[in-house]
Amino acid sequence: MLFLVAAGLQLVFGVQKILNLACGSFYALGAYAGVSAVRWALGAGLPAPLFLPVLLGAGLALAAIGPVIERLLRPIYDRDESFQLLLTFALVLMFEDVIRFFWGTAPHQLGNVYLAFGQLRIGALTVPTYNLVVIAAGAGIAAGMGWFLARTRFGRIVRATAENREMAEAMGVDMTRVYTRVFTLGVALGTVGGALVIPATAAVNEMGIDLIVEAFAVVVIGGLGSMRGAFAGALIVGVVKAVAIATWPEVEMLAIYVIVIAVLVLRPAGLFARATA
Amino acid sequence: MRLTRRRFLTLSGAGGLAAALPLDAAPAFGQSGPVRVGVLAAKAGVTAPVGESGLRGVQFATDRINAAGGILGRKVELIVEEESSPKDTVERFRKLALSDKVDVVSGAISTGVGLALGPAAEEMKTIWLAWDATTQKGVEETMPKPKYSFRSTDNECEAVMASIITARQWKGKFKTVAGINPDYSYGRDNWAAFLAIMKKYGMEIQVVSELWPKLGATDFTSHVATLVQAKPDLIFSCFWAGDTPIFLKQAHAAGLTKSTKLVLTTGGGVHESLKKDFTPEGAILGYNCFYFENPKASALAKEFTRWHSEKFKEWPNYESDHGYFTIVAYKAAVERAAKAAGGKWPAQDAIIQALEGVEAESLSGPRRYREDHIMEAAFFQGLTTHKNRHDFVTIDPVESMTTKQIQKPSGVGLYDWINGWKV
Repeated sequence: MLFLVAAGLQLVFGVQKILNLACGSFYALGAYAGVSAVRWALGAGLPAPLFLPVLLGAGLALAAIGPVIERLLRPIYDRDESFQLLLTFALVLMFEDVIRFFWGTAPHQLGNVYLAFGQLRIGALTVPTYNLVVIAAGAGIAAGMGWFLARTRFGRIVRATAENREMAEAMGVDMTRVYTRVFTLGVALGTVGGALVIPATAAVNEMGIDLIVEAFAVVVIGGLGSMRGAFAGALIVGVVKAVAIATWPEVEMLAIYVIVIAVLVLRPAGLFARATA
Repeated sequence: MRLTRRRFLTLSGAGGLAAALPLDAAPAFGQSGPVRVGVLAAKAGVTAPVGESGLRGVQFATDRINAAGGILGRKVELIVEEESSPKDTVERFRKLALSDKVDVVSGAISTGVGLALGPAAEEMKTIWLAWDATTQKGVEETMPKPKYSFRSTDNECEAVMASIITARQWKGKFKTVAGINPDYSYGRDNWAAFLAIMKKYGMEIQVVSELWPKLGATDFTSHVATLVQAKPDLIFSCFWAGDTPIFLKQAHAAGLTKSTKLVLTTGGGVHESLKKDFTPEGAILGYNCFYFENPKASALAKEFTRWHSEKFKEWPNYESDHGYFTIVAYKAAVERAAKAAGGKWPAQDAIIQALEGVEAESLSGPRRYREDHIMEAAFFQGLTTHKNRHDFVTIDPVESMTTKQIQKPSGVGLYDWINGWKV
């Protein structure tokens, strides 16, 4: 999940050079929309195991806010990063209020769809099948993004824009449209991530802010603007957290930032940063 | 650009001035006009649902008092401000005291905020009746003998009660225990109290895992995996917010709730989210000071529960009762002091004196403020059951203990007090 949000952050930063704090809000919005959509679908008589497409649909549909937000951010593309942080942080706060307005302050959750696919027993461990579905979805989206960026025409344009915006523009690429699409894709990664995670947890208002911090750790470890970096960074953060909790719970947060610091000192650009970036 | 910005500043300055004028013009003090009650209610973050709940209790009390003619004939008027960071909340407290000239402030949940509000209340000479926000250690240091602050019950009451029930229910039936508690004073204090009481009862237990997730965390899969590995017979947790259902759901999915005993001291605060799908029967669950389906509920509590569920489509939780009590306690104190002053509106010092030892009927039965400004109330806990008309768990039978049993008395340290128990 962290990967999806970090990937969205990477994509938007890589192409548009915008540090988008609001990526966490998209995640939270996706979660809430997922809860509402699945509740509605189950109420309309949908059998429980079919909830997954509904979740994905809710996440994707919500990406429709992408172009609107992108329009809002347009004036600050060429401004200092601090303006970008301020504006996108303002968005975070506004989305928090939007969520409070529509969904209230109590945690929202989906009843038993988490176990709709059953549980798997691996040795002495019981794992909900849904966890594996999410892992598969994450891997699938990672592969899909890789294919999209490397093989499709639009992917090539995106990469060209990330490398050199002026040159791409000179070659006749319509920057406005590329930006809108890329940003929307970034939003979609966040909202789908939020929607996918919701069966296993509950939607709470501050989930967005929590995630932003971790997503930034992922991005710093992996290297800004790199898809492979986002994937590796998310894996590292996830595994380090799990190991820390199992062995020495006190250092859970510390361990992640020790790695962040180590990466910043030894490889300031991140593990997977391109030489030119 | 520059012109528009300047214009904007002028306009907003004028607007601000206009907004400030009526405040200065209002004759808000003295013994005429409404009683002004400032309310500090959290509206964002983990504490938002709790703040909302407290505010509803205050509102219910105010509506009832006003419908019955107010306090000594004066209507009660609420001025609601937000509880957020300690610094900002103190600013709003000052604003309530100086600009709104409130008679009393009710509210605050977060301990961090409470620690900052205590000294502010003394400095502003404004009565502050806390909902929660007044934990043990820090408060004793920053406000040893407060004059203007009135505190809630102690942090550890729920852990003490749950521990006593644990000992009675399960003594000798478990050996290994694990704790998963939020990583701040409330979580730490409760876990320590639990272990101390287990020791006092002579239970030979072994702690196999102590987990401290951040307050407000939403993913416990790694914690659950650790607990599955540690195989505790009993898990103790004082989660009180959205963390409770998330943890239970993930624990249930990993098969952890099947054979493990669960002690959830405070989860009843989010009772509606503890769905039967993943919350097992037979776990100890605490509802703090108010249980919405108490079979022995008073007519008043029933009226409140009906009002709350019709108005908000939710069943009420404990914080409403904290809020409710602060208002009726203030009313009772004013009336008590007025009786001594020959029916006139009493001076502030007389009200404070009357608050000490004042008793009033709260939603969960009689409550009072101790002479040392600490609240006395009844707590409700019990074993979870699925046999009800809801899709979430409730408790049956409902057990109630008062702070006389589960709160350390005035002037004694918690652990000295526990060690002095006769068990």
